[in-house]
Amino acid sequence: MTAKQRSMLVRPSRRRFLQGTAAAAATTLATPHIARAQNTELYINSWGGPWLEAATANLFDPFTEETGIKINTVSPVSFAKLAQQVRTGVYEFDVTTLGGGDIVRANEAGLLEDIEPPYEGALFQNGAASHAFATKLAWRTDAGWDGTPQNWADFWDVERFPGSRSLQRYAARVLPIALLADGVPMDELYPLDIERAFAKLDEIKPHIRVWWTGGSQSTQLLRDGEVDMIGIWHGRYYEALDAGAPVAATWNQAEIDRAYWVVAKDTPNMEAAKQFVEFATSPKPLAGFVTQGNYGALNPAANEFIPDSALPRMPTSPQNYPLTFEQDMANWGGDPHEVSMRFDEWLAT
Amino acid sequence: MAVTVSNLAGRKNLWPWLLLAPLALYLALFFLVPLGQVAMMSVTEPRVGLDNYEKVLTGTLYRRVFINTFFTAALVTVCCLLVGYPLAYLMNHTTERRAMAILLLITMSFWTSFLVRTYAWMVLLGNNGPVIWLLATIGFADPPGILFTRFSSTLAMVHILAPYMIMNIYSVMKKIDPALIRSAESMGAYGTSLFRHVYLPLTAPGIANGSVLVFVICLGFYVTPVLLGSPTEQMAAGLIGHQIEQFLAFGLGSAMAIVLLIVTLIVLWIYSRRFGLDRLYG
Repeated sequence: MTAKQRSMLVRPSRRRFLQGTAAAAATTLATPHIARAQNTELYINSWGGPWLEAATANLFDPFTEETGIKINTVSPVSFAKLAQQVRTGVYEFDVTTLGGGDIVRANEAGLLEDIEPPYEGALFQNGAASHAFATKLAWRTDAGWDGTPQNWADFWDVERFPGSRSLQRYAARVLPIALLADGVPMDELYPLDIERAFAKLDEIKPHIRVWWTGGSQSTQLLRDGEVDMIGIWHGRYYEALDAGAPVAATWNQAEIDRAYWVVAKDTPNMEAAKQFVEFATSPKPLAGFVTQGNYGALNPAANEFIPDSALPRMPTSPQNYPLTFEQDMANWGGDPHEVSMRFDEWLAT
Repeated sequence: MAVTVSNLAGRKNLWPWLLLAPLALYLALFFLVPLGQVAMMSVTEPRVGLDNYEKVLTGTLYRRVFINTFFTAALVTVCCLLVGYPLAYLMNHTTERRAMAILLLITMSFWTSFLVRTYAWMVLLGNNGPVIWLLATIGFADPPGILFTRFSSTLAMVHILAPYMIMNIYSVMKKIDPALIRSAESMGAYGTSLFRHVYLPLTAPGIANGSVLVFVICLGFYVTPVLLGSPTEQMAAGLIGHQIEQFLAFGLGSAMAIVLLIVTLIVLWIYSRRFGLDRLYG
């Protein structure tokens, strides 16, 4: 059964009606599809790549084993789809993860189902805090430079470190990086000085060969040597490193984002969705997930299950965390929406 | 049986419509209805009015992207013509075997997935790819980056769209009566004069068909320019996707889509006035 068919069967407006009729019909007409769609299948929005591998092995498969609920993944991760699902009542996925910037907008727009906190302090804007990931500075070791880049100021230093660059096409992550490059200390970043950030971005713009938009694209750019220096998600950096590419990176001034599990508002698979979010943020599965995916666990109870060998690659480990800074969407310094629009116009000129 | 046949004959005028009905129904349901919804969204989201159209038609970003989209489509069309016309000519003037071989090569690239071809160009034009290697070998001390420029995206789009052009021109060339050429020659037309006054006008419908198809398809290109092109040159389709994905600006995205559609229809209308739309199909 495809997601669409399933969705048509269980549009929220008709859900209660269907539940009733399904129960009645099951005894007489045998309509296993409806019954099964309600209880034993869950659709989860996937980031693909290393994320999906870690999630399948540590969250999806064990969850299915424990509950009998089958998990299907839907990609790519799409904020617009989440919004459209609630508008149309046609659901393609029940559960997704959102970053700190998007979750505020999503919750304000009423796209997220209310959930119970799976552990103490887990809830933020109706999302259950799952794991931390970072945007870090990485480079090619075969670029032929004297010395290695240490921070974002070096990313901007095209005299000492000549070569092409890449950053994500995402204003909320790029602006703080520009301010760090301009000498603003990490603990004084927020609220952001938007004007100063754009002025600093003007300097690096001619050297940015690509503004990447997808995780796999960023890995490819670094691995194949299309750029010499890149601001990249740390999981994607390790993917290039493990593939044998001559690359290195620093945790210094890495930018931490938090990812939250959320349940799509009014989804027909509500119970299973909530059950999954609780499972995915519980200590053991989360520990396995972050260990394999190199993320930082946000449920502190997970830490006792994480082997020490995994710590060097985790943004929240005791040795790395002090070098990093966190995104602060609550005190960001402007309307992220307007700034993103401005960023887009800035890009096109 | 006889009764049925005579019945059918009696309803001769109805029969084609009956055959067409499933397709018409399909198009109405899955094309016209969603299109109507898009049109609705463009004037109702986030509030009722023409705000979205005002933004699209006056905003510098949108204007720049639309101009770039049409410029790119025109550039790709001209390149396809420059590549396609000589190739179609060659196919028409070589042995049947060779013509078939060329046709096979063209259709093979045509059958390969769009995305695969785009990624293949990334490998070919990348810093560690054969093209840069060749440039370095023949003496370029520091070969310029080719990937992520207008050149690379145009090259890939020409590769993807050239088959439309070649097929159209080739099919028209094949139908030219050789007697016409011979009689032109007997009247004293040779070389460029023969080409300009006889051959080119005879193949003009093929050029027009191919150009319109390539131009219109290229207007809606999305993946190729995003993955291969430079960050400053954006296509309208990419911006529409970005508006919706990044900003949930369904209304603004819809308005852009409608503007793109209207301009495309205008191009088709001009073509139809000049050449007749039915020529597109054969």
